[in-house]
Amino acid sequence: MKYSLCLFRKSTPAIFSVTLLSSLLSLPAHGQDNQQRLNQMEERLNALQKQVTESNLEKTRFNGFFSTGYTRATNDAGYDEATEDSDLQTLSLFGLQGTFSLGRNTDAVLQLVSRGNENWDTELEWGYLRHQFHTGTEVRAGKMRLPLFMESETLEIGYGQVWARPPEAVYDPVPVRSYLGADLAHTFNFDSSSLETRAFAGHLDDDADSLGQTIGVELRNLTGLTANWTNYLWTFRGVYARADASIGSVGGPVNLGQNEKAEFMGLGLSYDDGAWLLMSELTRVEVNGLFQNTDSAYITFGRRIKEVTPYITASWIESKDNFKRDGTPLAVLDTRRQAYSLGMRWDLVASVAMKFDWTHARGFGNTTGGLIGNQLGGSFNSTDVYTVRLDAAF
Amino acid sequence: MRTFSVKRSGRLALGLAATLVMLSPLASAELVIIVHPGGPDSITKQQVRDIYLNRSSQMPDGQRAVAFELPSGNSMRDAFNERITERPDAWLTSFWSRQVLTGKGQPPTEMSSASGMKSVVSSTLGSIGYLDSTLVDDSVKVALTPEP
Repeated sequence: MKYSLCLFRKSTPAIFSVTLLSSLLSLPAHGQDNQQRLNQMEERLNALQKQVTESNLEKTRFNGFFSTGYTRATNDAGYDEATEDSDLQTLSLFGLQGTFSLGRNTDAVLQLVSRGNENWDTELEWGYLRHQFHTGTEVRAGKMRLPLFMESETLEIGYGQVWARPPEAVYDPVPVRSYLGADLAHTFNFDSSSLETRAFAGHLDDDADSLGQTIGVELRNLTGLTANWTNYLWTFRGVYARADASIGSVGGPVNLGQNEKAEFMGLGLSYDDGAWLLMSELTRVEVNGLFQNTDSAYITFGRRIKEVTPYITASWIESKDNFKRDGTPLAVLDTRRQAYSLGMRWDLVASVAMKFDWTHARGFGNTTGGLIGNQLGGSFNSTDVYTVRLDAAF
Repeated sequence: MRTFSVKRSGRLALGLAATLVMLSPLASAELVIIVHPGGPDSITKQQVRDIYLNRSSQMPDGQRAVAFELPSGNSMRDAFNERITERPDAWLTSFWSRQVLTGKGQPPTEMSSASGMKSVVSSTLGSIGYLDSTLVDDSVKVALTPEP
């Protein structure tokens, strides 16, 4: 490709002078010849343009995202990791994504993320190979985001979301983000709607925080299915996933089960007409053993008014297997909580958005509300969290 | 009798409107959808919308679509978003950053000027763009004049 470009460039002046010469020498007699040459030139030019267009489509691309934010809570209950101490680390992160084309329909995607609350250590969040067939089928292999939620793919890309944070009730019970494996997706395109189905399988081994400890989370024989239908106004989503889960370690500070059957079910709904916005997800986590089985849901309404999008969110989570932990120290894992958020997204300039959010959490019943402050001995009945966040994508 | 007079006055109003349109300098700066001279003769609003909102990557003639746009703040871009995408600029930026970062597609290539738009559309196979109708010449093909 490069070679042929060079060749063409080198030969261009020659062609031009030859054409010029011939047209000067024999204008009236060879008018038709000139027309022919002109046509040939035009064809060559078109071919060259095609090559240039294609090379544009095939180049390496870098994109990124950045977030930083200020969080403060009215007490140390620890909702969303927020406490009475002002915090800038938790919401701060920097992500860099590279897409390297290996062919017309094959690429390698790499996403590196450094997070403020992990000492800015850079982590390979995604690293996969993807091939797209002309039939609408796509196959990927490598490290990818676990597609449990509607916003899984944009989980850390604050700029892509309306909220200051994804609703904790739904997005928090599964303490891991990315798995190693493969998936196969097929998109069915209809007249003015499309259905994307995806099957995935793999393995996940990561760390998570529980009860103030860092514990290991391993999901073996992880398999799942998602279906996403949209008419570009309404979107409906369904997901089912299962795995053999080991959470914490035998003999370690926390052991919530080894090789236990774990299942995840979720339904999602969204509406977005450019002005009005509605989002809702309903999820269920079921794990044998002591890890909490939870039901969660949230609903968000928003309205875009020029650069400003005010929103309200109501969310709810409840653990359904409290009896399993009755009378044991692990009863602190029992959860019941409602949270209400009032917030606003403000699109400052292209690709930069600022968000303001006030979240009030309450309704813990006899439980700790799943909040670390209560799990470690506190007795908070409610908490208010204030957030100001800045997001960018580039 | 009455219907007759209504019809007549309707015609009169139409004629008046047409005259006004012809006289008004604003009306001549009309938004037109342009394609490569070898591209399709016509395209529907829905087809243009699908290409610019990443729902389709094909031109009506089967060619792989290469879309171009003008910078934000440009009056033709505003007209295009109002008539074709029906989405505000802030929505589109956020939408495209999601598409890009989830590997679903790339936004239309932004050309800094109308003349740049015209030359790139005239020289790129499968191209589609938009322009002020007064700036259109033979180097590109007008495939749609969207109604306001």
